[in-house]
Order: sequence, then structure tokens, then C-alpha cells
Amino acid sequence: MNTPVIHDPMSLPGDDNVDSYTFCVELKGSQWFLQKGKMIAYYGRIDFNGVGHGSLDRLMRTSFHSPLHASDWVVAEGSGKMLLADRAFDVNSFDLDDGNLTIRAGNLLAYQPSLALKQSIVPGFLTLIGTGKFVAASNGPVVFMEPPIRVDPQALVGWADCPSPCHHYDHGYMSGVMGGLRQLSGIGGASGEEHQFEFVGAGTVLLQSTEALMPEVATGAVPHADGVPGGGHGPGRPGTTPRLPGQLGDLQHRFGL
Amino acid sequence: MSGSDRERVHSGGACPHTHPAQYRHPVAMFRLQGSKVLAVDMTGDSVKAKNGSMVAYDGRMDFKKLTGGGEGLRGMVTRRLTGEQMALMEVKGQGTCYFADRASEINLVSLHGDKLYVESSNLLCTDGGLRTGTSFTGLRGGATGNGLFTTTVEGTGQAAIMSDGPAVVLRVTPPYPLSVDPGAYIAHQGDLRQQFQSGVTFRTLVGEGGGEAFQIRFEGDGLVYVQPSERNTVGGDV
Repeated sequence: MNTPVIHDPMSLPGDDNVDSYTFCVELKGSQWFLQKGKMIAYYGRIDFNGVGHGSLDRLMRTSFHSPLHASDWVVAEGSGKMLLADRAFDVNSFDLDDGNLTIRAGNLLAYQPSLALKQSIVPGFLTLIGTGKFVAASNGPVVFMEPPIRVDPQALVGWADCPSPCHHYDHGYMSGVMGGLRQLSGIGGASGEEHQFEFVGAGTVLLQSTEALMPEVATGAVPHADGVPGGGHGPGRPGTTPRLPGQLGDLQHRFGL
Repeated sequence: MSGSDRERVHSGGACPHTHPAQYRHPVAMFRLQGSKVLAVDMTGDSVKAKNGSMVAYDGRMDFKKLTGGGEGLRGMVTRRLTGEQMALMEVKGQGTCYFADRASEINLVSLHGDKLYVESSNLLCTDGGLRTGTSFTGLRGGATGNGLFTTTVEGTGQAAIMSDGPAVVLRVTPPYPLSVDPGAYIAHQGDLRQQFQSGVTFRTLVGEGGGEAFQIRFEGDGLVYVQPSERNTVGGDV
């Protein structure tokens, strides 16, 4: 018979994984930023306050620069041990040392206030800058790749140290009479892999090992403004996942179809 | 399993299940086949399992629908009234029976005369000798969206509960109470008091809530099972 491991406050690790799906954060009078609803249990005395809470003003000034995501984030404060998990996906902690990392907004669970959170100019992604630890979820274990690389948009978790992300469309798919016919009729065309994200430059690209995106709340939409990529979609429709720019649907717009 | 001696032993009697091989008492042996399939070795004894959760078996098995969870007429009426309905079947035979349900992770729970509280939807299988019943949970049930009642399993033997992702088992002792998100709670056992904590303030009402407005606080001595995932709860968004 397999007996389950029983955890108590002493045996739980401090700031480390309990198993692949659960992460334990140890608070000793310190603060952590936490995405709403990712806390599953805690020992000790911990308070959760929305980021708009008055006493947190100073903290917000240094570590939180994303008004669009303000309603998704809370600050955990106190002492004790807190378990984080997200829809039974793999969770891992990453250390940034005076670095930067951009990650899909729905995949970021928690981060230390020594990091600063900002919105990436790629919609739906968040950038963390500074030194500290953060916890991220991925559907399946994370794979680290070096650019130059082309990745499937759905498998992308994030990227670190500024490689340059851009869209890449297969040339053969768009050109010629057959390409046009495929576009018009939708017959015989899409293998589903005509569009990739391309990364060049120095850095690391983080991939998850499935293409199933986590359903996330539509909070990543950016405001209507000229020059803001993806700004045309308007405020996120509730209940739908934010559209990735350059999904196949957008390709048709490009050809005026 | 040899089927050589199979006198019927009720688990309420001298509890042999810790050394089944040694004493050869026919008590169903629960083991996990991977993390998502439960294998039960039976030698003429029976287990109660969620209706339709059998995926394969080896040997001779009888499946019998247990109306009202095998709790008699009174249990049936209680379950109907409380909405804590549970379609159970009784599986009896010799050989190995495999159970699984929607690729949920399965966790084994050993009971030694104590009581396990679990949502009926999370209960996969129990030893035939365990008694099941319903109990009132108070406000906690209301917040988890599972109703105000929960299922109890009592006696000595093994039970299998399901969770979305492998459950984390947390011990609660008097100096270390535990707070749990209602959406991640699946079961608890032992001598625990639960208390509903609400952090709803005027800030919640103006949309500046802490995101963790409702928690269940467990105090006492026992174990709490949480899953690394949250159900949608009524209190989940505030």
C-alpha cells in the first residue's frame, strides 16, 4: 500500500516545491505578491490585501506597475507557510538575478516584491525586472531553449534576457494561387503550424510541453490607443480568452478577406 | 490471492488489515496502479465504489447497485433531502478490480476508527466494512458550492478519494491550525473543528478585495486533504 506523505508546518519546505504541482512559500513578516485564488492553504497568520489597499502604497510604487492586472493581484503579508497551486499544472520557482523575464500573464502565480512587475508590450504578457524569486505555472514541465528558435504560440510560456520576439508566417502558405485558394476555401490548407513566434538574439525561451493554453481571465487587454499593439480589441470580453495577436484569424485580415 | 480461506470478517471486529498477508483475513487490499487507477484485491469480500467507476477486472466479480448508498431507507431519505446524493455500487468477488474516474488523481486514506469527511463527488471507493453517512457542514459547504452537507465515512479500513491533481495531506495540531481555500478543500479526517472565516470588508464590495475572502480554518488534531487546483466557488471571486 502506498501511504501518502503527511506534511506539517515543520516538514513543509520554505520557498520550495512540495510536489510538482504545489509550491510552499515561507513568510517571515515579509510580503509576496500573489495572483488571486492561487493560495490553497496556509499555516500561521497571513493577511491578504488587494493591491489598492492604502497601506501598500509604498510597495506598489516600487514593485507593481500594471494597473490592468491590479484586480488580479493581492499582497500576502504575515508569518507562516502558504501553499500555492494552479489548476493542477506544474509549478516551479525561478530566480532572477538583476535580470528580466517576460511571462504569459495567466502563468505567473506569485513573486517577491524585490521584483518589479510591468506589462510587456506584447499583449497578455507580463515582464518582471530585478532580483528575486517568482513562481510560475506551466501545463507540463518547462523546457528552456536558446534562440534562434521558432515556437508554437500556444506552447510559449515566456522568455528571459530579451531575445527579440516576432511573428513568423510560412512563406509557402501565403504565396501563389494555391495559397490564395486555401485562404478562400479553407480546404486542404491549415496544418495548424503555419504561424510561429520567432526569437532571435541572446536569451532563453521558456516552453511548456503541451499546446493547451490555460484558460485565463481576460485581463490582458490593452487600452485603445494608437501604437499599442493589440489595442484595437477593446476591453476584454468577459469569459473569453484574450486573442493572441497573429492567430490564424488575423492572417485573413491581412489579405483583406 | 489464494482463495483458500475466506470466512467473512467484518472490519468492525479485530482489525487485521494492517497485516493482511500474515493473517489471511479476506479484507480488500487497496493499492494504486499508477496514480489514477485504484486496484483492489478481493478474496470474497466486498467494497463500495462510485457507480460506473470500474474500468477493468480480473477474476469473478459481482456488481450490485446500492440504492441510497447502502444506508437503508433512512439514509436514502436523508441523502435525497440533503442533496448529497451518491450513486454507489457494491462490488464483491475474487480477483482484482480496477477503478478510475475521469483521470482524477486517487489518494488512499486509512481509517482506524476515525471519521473521514469528504464530498460525495470526491469519494471513489470504500472498504465494505466502512459506514457511510451524511453530516451537516454549516457555512463551509455553502461557500464551496457543494451544498450544506457532506459525506462521512467511519470505521476501520481503507477508502480512496479523488482530487484534481495529487492531493497534499496537511497535518493539523493544536498549536498549528490551518486555513484552507474552500475551492481546494477535498476531505479531512480526525478530531477537527472547522470554522468559517470571512475576510469580507467594505473593500470587497468596492472590488478591492483580498481575493481570498473565504477560508475554512481547521483547529484540533487531524489531517486535511487539499488539491492543487480550485473549484469554482461562490466565494471564489471576491
